[in-house]
Amino acid sequence: MELIDRYLQAVKFWLPKAQRDDIIAELSEDIHSQIEDKEAELGRKADDGDVGAILKQCGHPLLVAQRYSPQEYLIGPSMFPIYSFVLKIVGLVYVLPWLLVWLGYVIFSPAYRAQNPIHNLWPLWQGIVALVFAITLGFAFVERFMAKTWAQKDWDPRKLPSVRDSNQIPRSSSIFDLTIGIAFIVWWATHLRFRTVFEFSGATITLAPMWRFFLCGLLLVSAVTVALSGVNLIRRCWTRFTACIRLAIDCGGSTLFCWLLKTAILVEITAPNVPPEKTLAATKAINMGASRIFPAAVVLCLVIVLVDLRRIIRVKTTVTKLAPCVAAARTGSEP
Amino acid sequence: MTNSTEMNDGLYEQLRLELRRGCLSMAVLGQLRTEQYGYTLRQRLAALGLAIDEGTLYPLLRRLEAQGLLVSEWREEDKRSKRFYRLSPDGKHILKQLLAEWESMNKVLKQIL
Repeated sequence: MELIDRYLQAVKFWLPKAQRDDIIAELSEDIHSQIEDKEAELGRKADDGDVGAILKQCGHPLLVAQRYSPQEYLIGPSMFPIYSFVLKIVGLVYVLPWLLVWLGYVIFSPAYRAQNPIHNLWPLWQGIVALVFAITLGFAFVERFMAKTWAQKDWDPRKLPSVRDSNQIPRSSSIFDLTIGIAFIVWWATHLRFRTVFEFSGATITLAPMWRFFLCGLLLVSAVTVALSGVNLIRRCWTRFTACIRLAIDCGGSTLFCWLLKTAILVEITAPNVPPEKTLAATKAINMGASRIFPAAVVLCLVIVLVDLRRIIRVKTTVTKLAPCVAAARTGSEP
Repeated sequence: MTNSTEMNDGLYEQLRLELRRGCLSMAVLGQLRTEQYGYTLRQRLAALGLAIDEGTLYPLLRRLEAQGLLVSEWREEDKRSKRFYRLSPDGKHILKQLLAEWESMNKVLKQIL
């Protein structure tokens, strides 16, 4: 019965070493019993075709052996949701911004386009591989040594985070916007006004004349931000109107910022003990740096605007579903 | 339509296997109240309407033995060495509990369905 021996040898190869002989002896006995029954049924000796049919029914050697192996995984079901969540975060905070900035440079910078932009994606790819490897390794370690104790750890349902309402405006965010807005208005009123020349310990910095327009625009944006933050502090829930105002503020601020970067932001820098060629070089470097970050700034501003647009859509849909925050706002109670 | 039928078939097969997995362990434990070796056990289960292939039965027997629910020994019978399995004292206890659980679930399911 050479066929049986060949089959058993193939199964044996994939079996766990410690149980190999035992499993093979049992499997061999089963196959021989099947052949005996077959022979009794046929009334003759089983030929290779009969044996082959029995072995085929037993299954592929690899599959047969695999059923005896313990189920093993690198990251088990208890850890997998967290692992997958961490990978998504990495995608959101590392891969997506990287790609967006790269795309910004490809679209808005002819010089960047000229130097093989696809090749510049290589560091991103290396970063992804390194991060995924490190995260997988970390989770595999936790899975092996800590997952069981972690899953059995005592937990208190009262310590779970409160239900998130995406339309609710965090008080801290409103206070932050309000503080920044007021600080800028005070700074503008007390120090900036329409000045474009500033002196610091003997050095003179002359800004481009368009700074006046930029700062005036920023003043207007800050004033509206202060008003909106004040409203948001009282009524801590996005409405379609406040979400549209937020969009208008961000569009205005983004346009001003990108427009400023496109211009030469500095006219000159003079310092008493610094040679003029050095200050000129510094001025040029700053202006060039500003124009270089323009593509990234455009992408960043677009992302901000997209977030604002998403908020408007979300408010629109949740108003129909009447989210807790919206319902509270309608009844006038605290959300 | 075909995709939906294929998906339903796949889903049915998955659920059927899940249902069968627990039942098989109980059937094997139940049959091994009297000592048997693998091949006869398989034949008896098949005769009762629960066909089980060797690739499923032998790993299951090993798992149940490793869990302490079965005991086994190699013995010669009809000039061939065979491994005989029977229920261990722990296995008897667990089988009793499983049967009670099975009966209770069966009762509930009958009410529901």
